[in-house]
Amino acid sequence: MMAKKGWDEFEIGAMLRTFNGKIENIAATQQQDRDYSENSSYTASVADWRLIKPIFNKDYCIDCQFCWVYCPDVSIISRDKKLIGVDMDHCKGCGICVEVCPTNPKSLLMFPEQADEESEIANWPKKDEKEA
Amino acid sequence: MSEVKNIKNLKEFSTSADRFEGANLLCPGCAHSIIVREVLNATNDDLVLAASTGCLEVCTAVYPYTSWDASWIHIGFENSSTAIAGAETMHKALKKKGRLKQPDRNPKFISFAGDGASYDIGFQWISGCMERGHNMMHIVLDNEVYANTGGQRSSSTPIGSSATTAPAGKISYGEKRNKKDMMAIMAAHGIPYAAQVSPNKWKDMVKKIQHGMAVEGPVFINAVSPCTTEWKFDPKDTMNIADLATDSLVFPLYEIIDGRELNITYRPKNVVPVEEYLAAQGRFKHLFKDEYKYLIKEWQDRVDEKWAYLQRREEARI
Amino acid sequence: MAFDKMELREVEVWDGNYAAAHAMRQAQIDVVAAYPITPSTPIVESYAQFLADGYIEGEFVMVESEHAAMSGCIGAAAAGGRVATATSSQGLALMSETLYQASGMRLPIVLNLVNRALASPLNVNGDHSDMYMIRDSGWIQFDAFCPQETYDLNLMAFKVAEDHDIRLPAIVNQDGFMTSHTAQGVHTLNDDVAYGFVGEYKPMNDMLDFEHPVTHGVQTEEDWHFEHKARQHSDLMTKVMPKIQEVFADFEKLTGRKYNPVEKYDMDDADVCVVCMGSSVETAREVATEMRTKGIKAGVVGLRVVRPLPFFEIAEALKGVKAIAALDRSSPNGAAGMLFNEIAGALFNTDTKALLSGYVYGLGGRDLTKAHLVALYNELQANADAGKVTTQLQQFIGVRGPKLAFL
Repeated sequence: MMAKKGWDEFEIGAMLRTFNGKIENIAATQQQDRDYSENSSYTASVADWRLIKPIFNKDYCIDCQFCWVYCPDVSIISRDKKLIGVDMDHCKGCGICVEVCPTNPKSLLMFPEQADEESEIANWPKKDEKEA
Repeated sequence: MSEVKNIKNLKEFSTSADRFEGANLLCPGCAHSIIVREVLNATNDDLVLAASTGCLEVCTAVYPYTSWDASWIHIGFENSSTAIAGAETMHKALKKKGRLKQPDRNPKFISFAGDGASYDIGFQWISGCMERGHNMMHIVLDNEVYANTGGQRSSSTPIGSSATTAPAGKISYGEKRNKKDMMAIMAAHGIPYAAQVSPNKWKDMVKKIQHGMAVEGPVFINAVSPCTTEWKFDPKDTMNIADLATDSLVFPLYEIIDGRELNITYRPKNVVPVEEYLAAQGRFKHLFKDEYKYLIKEWQDRVDEKWAYLQRREEARI
Repeated sequence: MAFDKMELREVEVWDGNYAAAHAMRQAQIDVVAAYPITPSTPIVESYAQFLADGYIEGEFVMVESEHAAMSGCIGAAAAGGRVATATSSQGLALMSETLYQASGMRLPIVLNLVNRALASPLNVNGDHSDMYMIRDSGWIQFDAFCPQETYDLNLMAFKVAEDHDIRLPAIVNQDGFMTSHTAQGVHTLNDDVAYGFVGEYKPMNDMLDFEHPVTHGVQTEEDWHFEHKARQHSDLMTKVMPKIQEVFADFEKLTGRKYNPVEKYDMDDADVCVVCMGSSVETAREVATEMRTKGIKAGVVGLRVVRPLPFFEIAEALKGVKAIAALDRSSPNGAAGMLFNEIAGALFNTDTKALLSGYVYGLGGRDLTKAHLVALYNELQANADAGKVTTQLQQFIGVRGPKLAFL
């Protein structure tokens, strides 16, 4: 969209607006309820940066939210104190969520980008008895 | 007076609606954005933000994208503090003149800058802002190096670290100087609040940010920001490195109130040897050669000495 | 209103600095962030005194450097309100980085630039080195020749800069000491009339509108940068001058004082003329009148608007002239002078047969005397008579030692 615009079609000063129209109480409005403009990086994807990806297995999750707070890429989606899943458009595959996950076995593990979520969850590792 | 956001535990914290977006261009595993999220989510108040030129800035406002959901400005390398001071001053003026569009809001004015932009090139600007009493917070994302331009040394780079302009080589162990004590310098301005924070200790961080937002006047925050690229560790280990930083006391967590009263806010149950912190990072790899091992001992002595000093300051209540 | 109005006489005896300070007071600026430097210091001192005496409601911040002054102005302007400051010389040099940022972000800040030489060697007196240094910075630049014009142009600068079709910062130049510290009669406007003329500030893309968050100061590389620079240049080339003309016309209606992008004096039938800026324009006008009594048809062109350059207006003003002198009050340091080049550019591709010579004068506050100008006009007449430039193209006026000329 932007790439097709000419020099006379941009906002002056290279100013960018995050939202279309107005946003009234942003701190009480979750991302899915916001009207992001095409200029918010929320509308972009860095999925192609990833070589490995996290897969979330909710069976073991205790909703501790460590992965939420330590995710650099706002990619752990938590709503009403429950972990819902991973935002795969914004996840860069750093693996911090897996490192900080305290459950045994972990509720998040890294897999090759091509891995199939369903089969990996079906073959999820068992509890590590040594660690426990 | 604005209400302080109630964040008793991480589950409550996780109900925050982020005002910083993904698909920014920061490296995978970058601590900058973890710190920014913890800071921004510490309040429900409106935010006016600035960033100095540096990793955070060049990765979050590359046309035609912005990763900021609050008003944000970047001018140059040295002046994010003064930019936000200017905005804060305008807010004061328009409030007085009755011209604010949303007069019932209680915006918080925050500038972010790296250690290069704070300890070095922006030092004077920050000092000016702290001295003049603006109602603002300056937060250093301290990764101890000019990471955005490829790892040149700053005055925050610690001794023995290999930086591109102070590289380790056949006859050099890298940086020769100790890290500048920015906390002491900023506290010496007599500002109401200065604190050192680390993203792994999110609760300590939130408490300090909330305290800083509640006080009237300038606030200085130094946040350790482990840099996967320049400190040379695996992106997944960012929080592990932050844990080593705080638990080895290389980055002690403390606050200084009104330039005098010092409180240590985190005492590790098991203090980790500094050697473990150094060993986890490629930038210190050369220190483990026989001829430089004395530097590791010196590091440990310095950290012990500083910790003893902080404890004495805390006890003295002066 | 939480501030007092000031009762002014119809004509006050003010120097250029005090005139600028009063105009700033009357414009009801929201934030002034400034740092003192000779010879502009009395502007911010006077403003501080007005504040201390209860005549100003806005905020005034004395920062720790000129770079910080403009940085604070940018932050304040982006937040959304009227902003101004003042500086000179080294101060402008220190803030020069931020000047490009202010214009690139399209923030309508007004800067009083009290022109002064640039070190080294250090010098506190007037020349145009600072004005020339930042001429490509994207700011609108007005030039005042006397305290009255400093006052008037300040009021007009806000109106031009803040217009939503313009949104560009503006500089009001005046000569250090010769204008800034020379008291003359200044016709004043009453506070309400002056503010009424400037008008209320209308915010645009303001950071303090929390319902419409904005990002200012983005990064653009080779894929976007050119378009934004093109847009800024285009606005300077096409929108600013018509707006300036409109504001000049409004001001004339209000005060009877007429301003033009190019100020012509006795140019209708002039054979020879000088083109210059600042207080020298007034000296040249006096000498031109005297030359006419000696049979030389002399005229003066003063540049009122330096940026955007009134390209065609310059050509128009000079179209019938036989010999022109471009007077540059800044060392070109290895080239012909800026005015010489601008005039040459404006006249090239026209039917002019005029001869153009350049003069460098007045560096570091060196006087430009009437005797200098008499000799200069005689030289121009000789050129006109000979049908060619009889001297070298660039001459230094008033410098000690053997005659200095180049090109």
